[in-house]
Order: sequence, then C-alpha cells, then structure tokens
Amino acid sequence: MIAARGGLRLVQRRVAALRRAVVAEVEDMNRLIYHILRGGVVVSVAVLVFGFVLVAMTGRPIPERSIPPRSLGDQLYHFTPEGYLSLGVLILIFTPVVRVLLSLLSFVKEGDRMYVLMTLIVFANLITSLFLLA
Amino acid sequence: MSIAVLLILAIAAFLAGIGGSYLGIGGGVFLIPFMTLVLSVNIKVAIATSLIGVIATSSGAASVYVRDHLTNLRLAMFLEVATTLGGIAGALVGLRVPELFLYFAFGVMVLYAAAAMARVRETARQRAYQAGAEPRLTERLKLSSVYFDQEDQGVYRYRVERPVAGFGVSAAAGLFSGLLGVGGGFIKVPAMNILMRVPMKAAVATSNFMIGVTAAASAFIYYPQGLVDPGLAAMVIIGVFSGTNLGTRLLEHSKASNVRFAFAVFLAAMGLAMLLSRLPGVSI
Repeated sequence: MIAARGGLRLVQRRVAALRRAVVAEVEDMNRLIYHILRGGVVVSVAVLVFGFVLVAMTGRPIPERSIPPRSLGDQLYHFTPEGYLSLGVLILIFTPVVRVLLSLLSFVKEGDRMYVLMTLIVFANLITSLFLLA
Repeated sequence: MSIAVLLILAIAAFLAGIGGSYLGIGGGVFLIPFMTLVLSVNIKVAIATSLIGVIATSSGAASVYVRDHLTNLRLAMFLEVATTLGGIAGALVGLRVPELFLYFAFGVMVLYAAAAMARVRETARQRAYQAGAEPRLTERLKLSSVYFDQEDQGVYRYRVERPVAGFGVSAAAGLFSGLLGVGGGFIKVPAMNILMRVPMKAAVATSNFMIGVTAAASAFIYYPQGLVDPGLAAMVIIGVFSGTNLGTRLLEHSKASNVRFAFAVFLAAMGLAMLLSRLPGVSI
C-alpha cells in the first residue's frame, strides 16, 4: 500500500515535471521555431519518400514537371507519384512562411510594434510573390 | 532522369547541405554548377530546384542554430524586409533575361564571394564588444545580441554596426538570390561579418535563418512556371537535409576560419568553371 502510494507520487511528480517542460518549451520561442522548421522538413521528406514508394509501386517514370497547385487535390486523391512529390516540395516551400507567421505572433505578444510592422512587411512580400504569377 | 543520376544528385546535395550549413549559405553555389555542368540540367530548372535546396538547407540548419541561440532573430527579421523585396525583383528579372547573362552573373558573383571569404579572419579582438555608443537605429531596433560559442564555451556580447548599409547589401543579396537561385548567403555572411561586425558564427547562423524566407519568396514565383522538377527537388531535399545534420554540428564545435580558406579556393574554381564553360571555343 505504502509502496503503491509512493509509486503514484513518483508518477505524479514525473507528470508535473513533464508538463513544466512542455510549457517551458512552448514559451521559449526559439524551441518553437526549432520544432516548426525541423517538423516542416521532416514531414516534407516523409511525403517525398512516400512519393518514391508510389513510383516504385506503379512502375511509372519519375515525373519531371511540378503539377500546378490547382490540380494537386485530384492527383493526391488518385495517389499519383506526381501529386505526392509535388506536395512534399510545396510543404517545404511553405515552412518558412509558417515560421514568419510564428515570429509575428511572438512580436505581437512582446508588444514590439516596430518588429510587428517589419514582420508584416516580410509576410506581405511573401504573399505578393505567391500571387504574382500564380 | 535515371535512378543513377538521381542518386548522384542526392550525394551532391548531401555535400551541399554540409557546406551550406557550415558556411551560412544555401548550397546553391554547389548545386547549380553541378546540375548544369555534370547532369546537363537546363539552367532555369537547375535554379528552381536549387531554390528548393536552399529552403531545405535553411530549415534544416537554422532550426538547430535557433535552438542553440546562435541566431540573432531581430537582426534576421530586419534584414529579411530587404531580402524578400530583393528576392521578388530578382525572380521577375530572372525569368526574362538570356541564359548567357545568368552564367556570367553567377561566375562573377562566386569569384567575389571567394575573394571575400579568403580575406576574412576573425580575431578575438574583433569579436570583443567595442566601447562607445551604438548606432541609433541599432539601439532603437535592439539589434545587438549575445551568442554562445561551443568551441570555447564562451558567451559573447556583440553590437551591430552600420545597420543601414547592411540593409542595402541585403536587398542586393535578395536580388541575386531570386535571379540566380542561390541563397544569397555568401553576400549576407560577409555583409554581416565585415560590414556590421557580427561575429562569424552568429552571422552564419543568422544568414542560414534568413535564406529560407528569401528563397521561398523566389520559389513561389518559379513553382507555378512548372520549372520545379519534383524528382530532382525530392532528391535535393533529402540529400541536403541529411547534410545539414552534420554541417551544423561541425560549425558549432570548430573554428570556421580554417575551413573558410579551402572553401574559398573551391568557390573560385567553381566560378571560373561557370565563366569558362560559356566562352566560345572552350568545352568543359
């Protein structure tokens, strides 16, 4: 009984420590940016590898042209290698955009108006280039 | 593209990832000549694919540098305003200029970077915090920062000099980046290190952080043109990401100045190869 209670207390303490670590991690902007950038590349690589698996399974040649974002949904639905390879590339391209958004949130939280303005300009430039020739 | 070609590209991208993360550049300086000269890829496809590689280098390496507090996030955001504007302008011009011009612009730029790298040498005196008042803009934007150096376990405080000049050079770096599909890092690193007096490792980390956003602004323009070859891009992403895992560890623990010189020689050779390959009567 005492051992069980001791064990429970140990578990509770571990959980509390874990929660503190998670909170500290989220509060630390550097850690969060680390996870976003890292996560973006890791997910992108995973999708690309899946694309190559599809190439091997369908026996089709490796695509040489990226498909336009408009027809991406259709391609993904039909599990074509083109679709998944393009999706992997697109996830990677969008990772820095998410990072900029994250910076924006952190500067808003800090109440740093100059940097909120600068981040907004950078974000506007990214959006401009996205729609410029699309 | 055959499987063999793709595997060779993945290995090249791996090496570009190591070099890119170690030196704060995107790795496009390796990948574009490699793709055009060795794999005979069309230069515009090579540029678009290289931009993807630059984003992979940036995300892979910058994540580690941000975690380890080498990156100056404020300085990066300040200069990103300039680089994204330049990046859009560069990509717009890049789609409309003849290929010959691209080769020459690239060759000249690489040679300039080689000279800049060979000249830079960071001394303890240079790294020490300088006395006196900070420039007004630096103070207002709180650009000065500290970084932790794992090589000698030291924490270094530094101040950012000449913020306006650095901003201007970053705009030019962004222009080149969009024009030629390189990260523009080898302009940003010397600009931060020599002009703004940011310590080498902090400059490398901050440059690595910025080039992803710069390249993304250009990639958005190239991607809808159908210039991104997904097979090539996939190999480049996978190779580069593996390389950055090694390159970041190398940078954090070593003296950057030693490898810089050998790297400058390599860059000079690449630049010459690019220039010579387009001269009439020369075949490489």
